[in-house]
Amino acid sequence: MKYLSALVCASAIATITLSAPAFAAPVTINLWAVDRPDQPAPQLVDDFNASQDEIHVEYRQIQFADLMSDVMRAYAVGKAPDIYAVDVPFNAMLASKGALLDLTDMAETSDVIHVDDYYAGPIASATWDGELYGIPKATNTIALFYNEDMFKAAGIDTPPATWDELLEDARKLNDPSKEVYGLAFSAQASEQGTFQFLPWVQMAGGSWDKVNGPGGVEALTFWKQILDEGLASPDTISRSQWNSMSTFITGNAAMAISGPWELDRLSKEADFNWKLALLPVEKEGGPRSSAIGDYNWVVFKSTKHPEEAFKVLEYMASQDKDMYQRFGQLPAEKDIEIPSTGDAEMDQALKVFQEQLQYAQPRGPSAEWPKVSKAIQNALQAALTGDATPQEALDQAQSQIDKLVN
Amino acid sequence: MRNRLSTLWDGRGFDIILIGVPLAFLILISGAAILYNVIMSFQEVDMFSLGSIIRPFAGLENYKRILSDPQTWPIFGNTLIFVLGSIIGQFVLGFGLALFFQQKFPGSTYIRGLFLVSWVMPGLVAGAIWNWLLSGDFGVINYILIQLGVIDTQIFWRSNPDFALWSVIIANIWLGTSFNMILLSVGLSAIPQDLYEAAALDGAGPLRRFFTITLPMMRATIGALLSLGLIFTLQQFDLFASITNGGPNNASNVAQYWAWQLSFNEFDFAGGATVSVLMIVIVVVAAAFYVRSTRGEVRG
Repeated sequence: MKYLSALVCASAIATITLSAPAFAAPVTINLWAVDRPDQPAPQLVDDFNASQDEIHVEYRQIQFADLMSDVMRAYAVGKAPDIYAVDVPFNAMLASKGALLDLTDMAETSDVIHVDDYYAGPIASATWDGELYGIPKATNTIALFYNEDMFKAAGIDTPPATWDELLEDARKLNDPSKEVYGLAFSAQASEQGTFQFLPWVQMAGGSWDKVNGPGGVEALTFWKQILDEGLASPDTISRSQWNSMSTFITGNAAMAISGPWELDRLSKEADFNWKLALLPVEKEGGPRSSAIGDYNWVVFKSTKHPEEAFKVLEYMASQDKDMYQRFGQLPAEKDIEIPSTGDAEMDQALKVFQEQLQYAQPRGPSAEWPKVSKAIQNALQAALTGDATPQEALDQAQSQIDKLVN
Repeated sequence: MRNRLSTLWDGRGFDIILIGVPLAFLILISGAAILYNVIMSFQEVDMFSLGSIIRPFAGLENYKRILSDPQTWPIFGNTLIFVLGSIIGQFVLGFGLALFFQQKFPGSTYIRGLFLVSWVMPGLVAGAIWNWLLSGDFGVINYILIQLGVIDTQIFWRSNPDFALWSVIIANIWLGTSFNMILLSVGLSAIPQDLYEAAALDGAGPLRRFFTITLPMMRATIGALLSLGLIFTLQQFDLFASITNGGPNNASNVAQYWAWQLSFNEFDFAGGATVSVLMIVIVVVAAAFYVRSTRGEVRG
């Protein structure tokens, strides 16, 4: 009898302790991102909330134009979210100011997130001073779309592999009488212009912090030649990537440089055969390069629940295997096999993007990225409008970059 | 004491309340923001000290930096061209239309009302539409000009540094003309009709009547309108954001857009604040003119 009561007692205590977490209110984690309701962040948040009851994630959508300023205002008054999807070039800036939680140790001991699984570019964009301050959310890069029908009509069998071939093909395909340009891309005075320009600099041997060497000058001279010869619309310098791509989709450009975010629109709207090729290299056998886009998940240092926040990130990362099928975005892990979508053009494009991603390089990382980028944009605009030679424009940019970086 | 209290609802005290409430409101809502802006222009600010008022004092460093920036004078020059071009365009077209609709013809008031559509339209929407209209390759404006034989080849309005600023000015004139027209119409209908009749009896022709009666009687309205025009054009932001982004190569950049770019693209909040303070000085001068011209209104 004595034993029995002890047993009952013990089991009662065990029940209470075991069930205690069920009665405790779940930890609330605030998560901000730019994603619309049909995009990954809010969908995965809903899935995660439904999957367990210890952590409740509150999602807030931010407009792209306010992405940085909203978060900074919130951070300034101590109301930063726990988790935030940062546009990749700004990851380093936030980390350098000490605003972000160092995720290095948590990632090392994690069963879900393995840094080595990711493409080098996205991880580099999340790394500052040798420490990891972000987990890639998805990734993207740019490559060369081309209109197969136009290529056939012009008697061109293969897409251009070098800059010279690109120029040659663009000249053949350019047809002002039919309002067709050889190439469409964006040299806009915004982050998009920097995003499109840096791969060319890197292919020619330059880099973001050394733009006025032969590599940068050669790249900008090449761009200028394309515009001067009328192979791309003069509006290239004021048009976004999305609007430039529109001219390709309507058949007014034979080639276009853009990213995987266009795939959905292309497959729905383009009434011609199109294919994707790697960005042409400067000379045969020359180094490849490309840009890295999309977002990284970061955790603000001010969070009260770092461990729970990391659990949320682990859940997000664990769903990357379906990223492409569910949302049409590229997962940042290189080992994820993506099954066929049933659309031959999409599948071909996807393979090229995955290959291109291996050569993709981050912008920066630099604590002063917005100003570095602005200096590069100014150089692009000055040279392409003819206000300065490529060398002069890039010298000017370099002197600003030197002041910022050193 | 009782007497003094009673002035609160009849007499001096009541007047003070009438002035005091809006004044307090103004100081609280606008004054604080302007003051904060001025303080910020004398400080070192980065995005992580954005939330605190106490920050390292920078003295005149921000002003020196902005005023020695090679971009500054071209941008302020553009601002001047933008303001003058927009105001003159809006005013001349608005006055023309107001005089036209003053001629009573069937439906004139309804048609005049329709002109307000452009004034009601949000700047961003108007900007997006003008962006398409002005597009170099496929824009309607180029199509019309080529069909009319005015130009031979397309003008790349947004990408050609010679045209970029003017493309925003054209859009802004379109946006503001109807507001000018309505205010001027009100002014016109306030002029007593018998003045014109008397002048006509004395043998004054239409031109003479315009210069000796219409213009002098409209002085207060015109003064107010031009000062408001200055303030509205200095506020114009949406059109720059949606048509040219201040480009190419700053060819269409103006002070107000640059202040935003500094603050929210480059996170140079002190620089943005400094540019804004320089603009406030200009607006205060304009406001002084506005106050003077409305004073004339009371007398007239």
